[in-house]
Amino acid sequence: MRGYSLTTRLTAFFSLSSACVLLGLGLLIFTAMDRHFAHEDYALLQDNMQLVEKTIAADNGDTLPKRLSDVYQHHAGMLVYVRGADGSTHYATPNFDFRTALASSRNQVGDEGFFQWQQGDKTYRGMRARITAAGNHIDVLLAMDTEIHEHFLHAFRQSLVSYVALAVLASGIFGWWAARRGLAPLRAMATRATVVTGDKLHERMPVDAVPEEMANLAANLNAMLERLQDDFRRLSEFSSDLAHELRTPLTNLMTQTQVALSQPRDAAKYRDILASNAEELQRLSRMVSDMLYLAKMEHGLDLPHKEAISIAQEVRALFEFYEALAEDKQVALRLIGDGTVEGDRLMLRRALSNLLSNALRHTPQAGSVVVEAHAEAAELVVAVENDGPAIPAELLPSLFDRFFRGDKSRMRPESDSVGLGLSITRAIMTAHGGTISVQSGNGKTRFVLRFPTAPYAQRHSVGV
Amino acid sequence: MKLLVVEDETKTGEYLRQGLTEAGFVVDLARNGQDGQHLAMTESYDLLILDVMLPDIDGWRILQNIRAAGSPVPVLFLTARDSVADRVKGLELGADDYLVKPFAFSELLARVRTLLRRGAAQVPVDRIQIGDLVLDLARRRATRAGRRIVLTGKEFALLELLARRRGEVLPRSLIASQVWDMNFDSDSNVIDVAIRRLRAKIDDDFDDKLIQTVRGMGYVLEAPEDQA
Repeated sequence: MRGYSLTTRLTAFFSLSSACVLLGLGLLIFTAMDRHFAHEDYALLQDNMQLVEKTIAADNGDTLPKRLSDVYQHHAGMLVYVRGADGSTHYATPNFDFRTALASSRNQVGDEGFFQWQQGDKTYRGMRARITAAGNHIDVLLAMDTEIHEHFLHAFRQSLVSYVALAVLASGIFGWWAARRGLAPLRAMATRATVVTGDKLHERMPVDAVPEEMANLAANLNAMLERLQDDFRRLSEFSSDLAHELRTPLTNLMTQTQVALSQPRDAAKYRDILASNAEELQRLSRMVSDMLYLAKMEHGLDLPHKEAISIAQEVRALFEFYEALAEDKQVALRLIGDGTVEGDRLMLRRALSNLLSNALRHTPQAGSVVVEAHAEAAELVVAVENDGPAIPAELLPSLFDRFFRGDKSRMRPESDSVGLGLSITRAIMTAHGGTISVQSGNGKTRFVLRFPTAPYAQRHSVGV
Repeated sequence: MKLLVVEDETKTGEYLRQGLTEAGFVVDLARNGQDGQHLAMTESYDLLILDVMLPDIDGWRILQNIRAAGSPVPVLFLTARDSVADRVKGLELGADDYLVKPFAFSELLARVRTLLRRGAAQVPVDRIQIGDLVLDLARRRATRAGRRIVLTGKEFALLELLARRRGEVLPRSLIASQVWDMNFDSDSNVIDVAIRRLRAKIDDDFDDKLIQTVRGMGYVLEAPEDQA
């Protein structure tokens, strides 16, 4: 059926089904009428049989043929054949050959004595009975042709066929019209869909204006548009964020370089400027690689190297890495518990590293950072908790946004964080089928990672 | 040591040549794949630095061709595309290392030296002396001017890395990767802090400072007499 339009299909379907219904109905009426006629004929035959019986009963001599002839010779349409026990014919309607009738009456007479046969191009219905009068058996056969009924039925069949043809045509046209009308909302939706473009993602399908059946489709399409609009908005925010983030260091670089070039300076000064440029450029290039990393993560790439990873082992390695920094700030690093996660070692290490460096950055002197790992139902929970001022509740949801920094100023006293660390951590968690959340208050900030502990492959196959 | 750089980007090529020449290498620069492949086939080099995206023959094809010709010369790829598939392809074709643009020149230099060293027979050393600093690698001990310096395990590893690659400016990312196995850029100043603490132990009490900061590039350990 592929390739035919919905309208064509519906039209064909309507025509076909109305043809079937009408033909079925016609057939039903036809058989009912046929049966009715048969019934009438048999009733008539029965009446005549009684008449013949009476005639025979009233007979007291050889006058039977004459009496029968009196009764039936002008009775067109009723064929009568009366035979005595000795085989002599008392009466037979003239000019009719009763041999076939007799033969078929012997074959198919039922209890009632009715039967039917074909002779010439006509169909006859007959009745046969044996009457006992004055000790004599007399066989009587009555018959009539059904031509008149046949005629009627034939005419009926003819008109039925033409009516059915007409009805099929009519219902086809009606079906075509109904399909066109019924599908009008779909065309309206298609028209609406053509106006949805990148900058017009706020357009929605008309849910109220379409019939119930399509409202669901329209609502789903709208939900899709909603998601797309959201993604699109984030994407464009992302690009403008990016442009903005790049603008500051680029301005610095350009100004610094042009000022440096504006007059001759000594070598040490040039060296200083170049070094400062190099630092700024390094930050820029790290920002670009972080962005690319994030983009790659968000494209849902599969985990490149999957293995069972001990959280405690990774955290201890990271503690070694951050040891100098922590000791420098007199921050205590503590690890409680352990657990195993199925994942990519480099990615997990990076995720945890971002959290630790973030925690160290915000822990005051002589504070502590505690990493805690424990199993919980079907999850492994890894919490990174640090002492530090509470993060305002309204900032918590945007903490994982790209380029988010708690202090809106561009001052970065002790790090050259580009504000992508937590986004990267979240992206890595998503790639592992896990989640990240944050709580802050009472002088502590706590990031909680939740890894599902069922094997990654299983969940992945059901499309997490 | 003679290197061939195949790079179509004019500025990049020029700066690579200059930087590598100043680092003490003899450098040939080819501006397209055709010339690059011809040079690689006819001349003898210690290392090739190939850009993947070239206008005529791409870096991969060049690598394939020279490997098919039986040359074992180490090859380092430069590329602007960073995907796992690309990386795997490069390594499958027989590349020795892979650097994604934009990269720090100090990183490139460090990797070039690593690749060149790989070919040379490693003489096992158990003692390194730089100026009056002596590292006893077997016993994991350091002394300076005869005075024992107490270092933690990672501090010793850091000092050992700097000492083994004396005179080379080591970028922070390389230090993080070699000493702590952190193969990504950390957004913290861990390396600076670690170096500062190491300096406090080996340099602060002495007039001759061995560990130098090269701003914008990294750190280098040099004997006082080598310092310019």
